[in-house]
Amino acid sequence: MKKMMTALSATALLALAACGNGESEAGSDSKGDIVVGGKNFTEQYVLAKITSIYLQENGYNVEEAVNMGSEVVREALENEQVDLYWEYTGTALVNYLGQEPLSEDEEAYEVVKDMDLEENQIVWLDMADVNNTYTLMMRQEDSDKMGIHSMTDLASFINENPDELTFASDAEFATRSDGLPGAEEHYGFEFGSNNVNRMDAGLTYQALRDGDVAVSMGFATDSRIKGFDLLNLEDDEDFFPAYNGAVTVREEILEEHPELEELLQPLAKSIDTETMTEMNYQVDIEQRNESEVAREWLVENGLINKE
Amino acid sequence: MNANKIIAFAFKGIFWLLIAYFFFWAISNGYFGFIFDQTEEFLSLLRQHLLLVGLSSLLALLIAIPVGVFVTRPQFKKTEWFFMNAANLGQTLPTIAILALIMSYLGIGYQSAVFALTVFSILPILRNTVAGINSVDAEVIDSATGMGLTPFQILYKVELPNASYPIIAGIRTAIVMNVGAAALAYLVGGGGLGDLIFTGIVLRSNEYLLSGAVPVTLLAILIDQLLRLMERVIVPRSLRPGSGS
Repeated sequence: MKKMMTALSATALLALAACGNGESEAGSDSKGDIVVGGKNFTEQYVLAKITSIYLQENGYNVEEAVNMGSEVVREALENEQVDLYWEYTGTALVNYLGQEPLSEDEEAYEVVKDMDLEENQIVWLDMADVNNTYTLMMRQEDSDKMGIHSMTDLASFINENPDELTFASDAEFATRSDGLPGAEEHYGFEFGSNNVNRMDAGLTYQALRDGDVAVSMGFATDSRIKGFDLLNLEDDEDFFPAYNGAVTVREEILEEHPELEELLQPLAKSIDTETMTEMNYQVDIEQRNESEVAREWLVENGLINKE
Repeated sequence: MNANKIIAFAFKGIFWLLIAYFFFWAISNGYFGFIFDQTEEFLSLLRQHLLLVGLSSLLALLIAIPVGVFVTRPQFKKTEWFFMNAANLGQTLPTIAILALIMSYLGIGYQSAVFALTVFSILPILRNTVAGINSVDAEVIDSATGMGLTPFQILYKVELPNASYPIIAGIRTAIVMNVGAAALAYLVGGGGLGDLIFTGIVLRSNEYLLSGAVPVTLLAILIDQLLRLMERVIVPRSLRPGSGS
């Protein structure tokens, strides 16, 4: 009995302590709590860091929830566990809204903006000029040797030499309809499931560089493509849709904090494919810390003051 | 039937009902679809998983038991702390970290995964081998010496049989954990059922998730049962716990 009382009072104390914490946070003079989400690759780590540092410097109490798959972070947004995160037009269009891919960026943006607001009460803030489309990559030397420069070349090579090439992919790309299955169907080829090596997204570049696979998926803004002397196969039939980044935020949060829309505008204006690739380079090739890179970029662009 | 027995019985019943309900729910939602729709691919993943677990467990066995015997020899007793700490480290380091570290040397895929799983599986076997041999009664060994047995005969005829129960328990722990840890092989392109589990997580698809997770669970249970069976065959009856000896 005595033991039980001790346990009970300990639990009560813990509960009290937890409440106390919550109160003190809400009681501080912050503009409110924001949970910034993010996916599981370098660009997303950087974007999430930029956004959370920026919001923090503007007086919000920011919590980060990064390193999630697309579907997971999106569901977290819909379930109110995440307040905002950077999403890509193509991903939303094809995967969440079940539409046909659109390769024109403005058009894709308008469609997702309207549909998402109407159907899911999710607001798309301004679109940044950063197109992080999927790409298939090969080593420069292999591409020359095998004469594969575009996805059409790849398709005909595979059809003539089935089972010769191996492919590195993350779990998402290997299964998404705007990923490998879709590309295979569109261009009319098939790697065969035994030739597809599934692994963590960030490793595919290394696997390709080290010759563990012949072809790999990648993201167009990834600096390792250049750093590792890889070649992007040309998507000559425009299969991959435009994947322009924009902050998606729940309508409810925007009603609570209407100033967010204007506050976040400069981020979308200043980030483009080139600066994004440069920041990815610093994280992936120069092995710098993403929050350092994010802070530096914010300071350089005059978005926050202090270093 | 006393109260405790009734409670235990009730819990067992509820437990089985929950499991039955789980399978009913999963099957009626088609959550094992992958297994039936893409049987060939599923079997190939299962094969990869078994190969990962089998090879790494075998390697762990081949390392841990001889090392365990080595450090319990009186003349090498001083090295025990070193091997135990090394094995401890192998298990304390998160499997993911071992994977990431070793990948730079062994490349991506199968070898890295086998290496990490081997390192991860050594400790439970080594620990139990050492503890098992050390717990053999000194008087038993004395009398064996008195009977004129050589040190090797003592090891083979007295120490190992007497320690067989804890050693096999360690092997069981190691392999059952290994079955689960092998799912992480996906991260370095090592294949196996982890591919399905991780696909299920990133796509939030119960079909992929359960088509991977449930077979992994069943595999762990099955292997555990098989090893229990082996235990019955190998461990002398008088040395089993509860045998009254």
